[in-house]
Amino acid sequence: MLLEVKDIHVHYGKIAALKGISVEVNEGEIVTLIGANGAGKTTTLKTISGLRGLTSGKIFFDGKDISKMPGHKRVVAGLGQAPEGRGIFPGMTVHDNLLMGAYARSGNFDKELAEAYELFPRLAERRNQAAGTMSGGEQQMLAIGRALMAKPKVLLLDEPSMGLAPLLVQQIFSIIEEINRRGTTVLLVEQNAQQALKLAHRAYVLETGSVVKSAPAAQLLDDPDVRAAYLGGGLGHEAPGERA
Amino acid sequence: MNEKNPLARFRNQLGHSGDVIRDRWAHTPGWQRWIVYIALIIGALLLPSESIGSFMSPDTDWASILFFPIGTYVLLAIGLNVVVGQAGLLDLGFVAFYAVGGYAMALLGTRLGWNFWIILIVGIGICALSGITLGAPTLRLRGDYLAIVTLGFGEIIRITARNTDEIGGPNGIRGIPHPPSYEELNLFGINFADTFGVDPLKYGVLDPRPYYYLLVALAVVVIILVKRWEKSRVGRAWAAIREDEDAAEVMGVPTFRFKMLAFAIGASIGGAMGVLWAAKSISINPNDFQFLLSATILAAVVMGGAGNLPGVMLGAFIVAWLPERFRGLQEYRMLIFGAVLVALMIFRPEGLLPSRQRKAELKEGTGGMGTLGAEVPGPESRGEEVASK
Repeated sequence: MLLEVKDIHVHYGKIAALKGISVEVNEGEIVTLIGANGAGKTTTLKTISGLRGLTSGKIFFDGKDISKMPGHKRVVAGLGQAPEGRGIFPGMTVHDNLLMGAYARSGNFDKELAEAYELFPRLAERRNQAAGTMSGGEQQMLAIGRALMAKPKVLLLDEPSMGLAPLLVQQIFSIIEEINRRGTTVLLVEQNAQQALKLAHRAYVLETGSVVKSAPAAQLLDDPDVRAAYLGGGLGHEAPGERA
Repeated sequence: MNEKNPLARFRNQLGHSGDVIRDRWAHTPGWQRWIVYIALIIGALLLPSESIGSFMSPDTDWASILFFPIGTYVLLAIGLNVVVGQAGLLDLGFVAFYAVGGYAMALLGTRLGWNFWIILIVGIGICALSGITLGAPTLRLRGDYLAIVTLGFGEIIRITARNTDEIGGPNGIRGIPHPPSYEELNLFGINFADTFGVDPLKYGVLDPRPYYYLLVALAVVVIILVKRWEKSRVGRAWAAIREDEDAAEVMGVPTFRFKMLAFAIGASIGGAMGVLWAAKSISINPNDFQFLLSATILAAVVMGGAGNLPGVMLGAFIVAWLPERFRGLQEYRMLIFGAVLVALMIFRPEGLLPSRQRKAELKEGTGGMGTLGAEVPGPESRGEEVASK
């Protein structure tokens, strides 16, 4: 097992955001966390990458306990994150953003740069443009490309489809698949459950800070409860109170 | 942006001419730049001349106000710019470090009789330490919260000094020694006092010019250091923290450590200026270190173009010089000063000489000081971008 999250609790002040979440990610997998707004998906990801502190529980990565490790050291250990929304550096050029991705590394990153530009040809066209002036989709590409610059073992993606047109979502998801094929394990947080379940190997369904279901993704696609709550299966519209 | 609006058009033209100059400068070969730098330093040394003084400050002694407030503000603004402009940490209590430097000079000079140069070095160390002491507990806060805590710190230092009788209480400290003088300086057979009418290393009470030259020397050293930091890995880390602190952390930047470093460096520069200022002014008291000074220096940084050193220096110069220039108008001078500040914010909201990176950040409505730490929409950002933060 490459990444293991064991019964983590996280609090914002006195409010419990995560109430005992356990997630496992094996090498080579794409695992997705789906759930509605406020279910704790982003908090889980932020806790894994070290941006939020734990109240209790443990996180193991590559066999080591990283629960107390600061965020910037987790990058060196091999956890790369593309932050939520547009977590890029708006004032820096596309190229400088990518170089920031390799900040913790030393040596030559020409190979990774070339790979990022190959995966996202749009970024190569815009390499000297200020990142903040690009479209949402391009910024998302940049965020993923930048995370890859650190050569992560596990890539943490926070809602890569947020605010993007359907065509762009397709494009981004096929690139994520390609990244996974090239050997990077992916942990994907998504509200777009349909797309995420099609892409992922396994999935966890989160609700108000707890895991309510975990199964192979294909199985969840057919699950009537999940269909009703997240895939617009019809029933969910009639009985919203049940899931909310 | 509405191009038909004459105000917006004027603003854009101003911005465009700035871009042209900047591009030109970026492609200037190194040796030509050095000529410009040396010309600027010589220009700074020639500044306290009576011939321009009659225009620049008809009501006060030009050489005196060149040291304080103008030179002092410029150096303090360079220090605050490291914290606010580069690392994007809103510091409203910068005067505290200036005060620590001033009191270090006063106490070590009067009680222990130390030499100015030793106190300068020790004072810088003390201020760096006090920057770290303040930073360690507070730099976990962000934006407005950090601003409030630093504001409190500035007041705590001043009030503690006022209430501590051992360091003079409200009366402050008198009889602070001047830097050691070397009178009748002869260099390459030139007697400076006879040739130029000034003894550049004679630190007395009457002539402010030697202190001003010392300030220029200090500023040159500080500018070189700050520029080198800006272009190094440290500078890139600061820029990343300013633009998106969480993203910086997940890129592997030890954000907390670099924020502390920015605080320590800013504090050291403020402290060095405090030492120099106390060495000239003979006596200091707690009221020299009011909150208003912090606010004024911050105004200078923001108005000049936070993050861009020439802009910040120009901003500090204007903020210091305008009220002195219009001293003849008595209380109306503050009205003019205020009107100029308002006009500047209308025509150049990003500052007089903003850095290009800064401008892009401001457009996004993100990026530390681009929004003064608070995540509110910028002039051209859309609501949801901010809401998603």
